[in-house]
Amino acid sequence: MNLIVFTKRVPATQEEELRITGEGKAVDLSKVPFKVNDWDNYSIEEAVRIVEKSGGAVTAVSIGDAESDEVLRRSIAMGAKDGFLIETGDVLHDPNARATLMQNFLKKENVPFDAIFTGVQSEDDQFGAVGGILAAKLGLPFVSMVIGIDATESDHLIVRRELEGGLQERVKVMLPCVISIQTGINEPRYVSIMGVRKASKVERKVFKAAGYQENVVNKIEVVKWVYPPKKAGATILSGELDGMCKELLGILKEKGVYQ
Amino acid sequence: MSYVLVVAEVRRGIFEERNLDSIGLCALLGKDAILLIPEGDYGMNEQLVNGLVRVKTEEALFLNPLNMVNILEKVMAARGKPDMIVFTNSASGIELASYAAGHFNLPVITDVNGYDKERGIFFKSYYSDKIFGEFRPSGEGTFIVTVRSGSFKENAAGKGSAPPAEAIEDVAANAARTFVEYVEEEKTDVDITKAEFLLSLGRGIGNKDEIPDYEELAGLLKAVISGSRPVIDKLWLPKARQVGTSGKTVKPKVYLAMGISGAFQHIAGMKDSSCIIAVNKDPEAPIFQYAHYGIIADIHKVRDALKGILKG
Ligand SMILES: Cc1cc2nc3c(=O)[nH]c(=O)nc-3n(C[C@H](O)[C@H](O)[C@H](O)COP(=O)(O)OP(=O)(O)OC[C@H]3O[C@@H](n4cnc5c(N)ncnc54)[C@H](O)[C@@H]3O)c2cc1C
Repeated sequence: MNLIVFTKRVPATQEEELRITGEGKAVDLSKVPFKVNDWDNYSIEEAVRIVEKSGGAVTAVSIGDAESDEVLRRSIAMGAKDGFLIETGDVLHDPNARATLMQNFLKKENVPFDAIFTGVQSEDDQFGAVGGILAAKLGLPFVSMVIGIDATESDHLIVRRELEGGLQERVKVMLPCVISIQTGINEPRYVSIMGVRKASKVERKVFKAAGYQENVVNKIEVVKWVYPPKKAGATILSGELDGMCKELLGILKEKGVYQ
Repeated sequence: MSYVLVVAEVRRGIFEERNLDSIGLCALLGKDAILLIPEGDYGMNEQLVNGLVRVKTEEALFLNPLNMVNILEKVMAARGKPDMIVFTNSASGIELASYAAGHFNLPVITDVNGYDKERGIFFKSYYSDKIFGEFRPSGEGTFIVTVRSGSFKENAAGKGSAPPAEAIEDVAANAARTFVEYVEEEKTDVDITKAEFLLSLGRGIGNKDEIPDYEELAGLLKAVISGSRPVIDKLWLPKARQVGTSGKTVKPKVYLAMGISGAFQHIAGMKDSSCIIAVNKDPEAPIFQYAHYGIIADIHKVRDALKGILKG
């Protein structure tokens, strides 16, 4: 089975203080480390497992600046055969614009596939919409929140999609299709620095995004970036570590959960 | 007539509570809400909406994005294009919304958690709630949004009379994707929803080897261990311990969160705890907005200091 996996390089903002600059025009990410989108890490792993079992090849595709080559090298280290970069300096906030660019690229370059994998969402913008838009544009069936692939047959997949509260839904989807992978579907393999170094010897192809712009328009616009409104917030304990911990135990006693 | 189409999320005969947020957004916009819902007895308060479109189809077909676009086509043929189509921001809502956006070539803004009526702006979370983007569609015409649960429900209000209902029939079922069955979570002996005191661990613990030390702390405190999704995804804790939208909803007396940032999918599962205490080294972590008490510190140091005190 030939699988295309879209993978994105994202800022790891979880532990960073983010600053808005230019009166809301931009978010300063210049000091933030970047990494592979968590969801894509699981998607690549799932795709590689399928081809390891039943043959075929995985092609990793990324949209982004030259630095996004990093996630392609990583994908190859995990077992992808090819890495394609659709190079653009622009950050496409609109999922419609991103999906249209992908559609144009797949059509023009005639990349063969039986299924396309995307992550459920990317960590930075949390849109969760690119996979669904792309599927509809390609006229292919779509399943999102895929937390298990139970069977891969020549003409269909049986997948489990995750709903709320621990419930799952088993679905049959005909090939070719687009599916969006949820974290936790597998245990992604460890990627060593040596592995990435070796992968960098495999040629990655670079395609300029300028060549695939037909109908790539922003259907939505960002007016401004703002900080979320502050709620009442927590009472922050202060002082020495030991003192704070004693205060914490005092609160637990007061709440009746600790004697 | 101008209207907003609200696509109801129903599952296994239940009208999901988060639909009220979709309806509430319509009220905030001052637009008529027409609810699209499969035929059946969902026991909802119909007076909250201005009209209903009942679809003669099975629930599983209704929830399938490949069929939903056929249903939407019929609605638009009968009623004209809506100003906006609203879905819930859930596993199914996002799936339906994104597919419909691609199919009809419409703008889509997901995970909307606020609306500024004067400026016509939708707020959407970025970077796990550290930043909000103010979004709007670039042009005129129908657009699609998905609404974050809990954002607008207080705006939903009864209209005082039963709304008119229309019906849609003969919806073509697409065979390219079909429902097979529901799969329930395996039952286990721990039930974190019953615990009075949860010590909840997030990705901030760093790696699996840290777990035993936190288990020891939980033992000393007589707390039950739970965790955020990444901790479960990485198999550091079993699935039954997961708190959040795709895990369990918990309401303990005390929820002690260590190394959890406070993404909305997590918050939704624990925000009704009587007392929330968060330990995180990042003073900007969104969880401090929901917590009653906070400690800004390295969690391992807090753990070790607590253990030191407890062991005397
Ligand atoms: C469809 C869907 C469903 C989801 N369902 C759920 C769900 O049910 N439950 C859930 O939890 N998530 C869920 N998520 C994931 C959610 O969006 C977040 O990714 C997740 O909650 C983040 O978990 P975390 O806070 O542990 O990790 P992170 O966001 O990575 O946060 C780690 C935190 O630890 C802090 N930290 C790191 N090291 C230290 C240290 N040494 N000392 C102190 N603090 C430290 C950091 O400052 C940071 O705030 C879902 C996502 C999707 C798309």
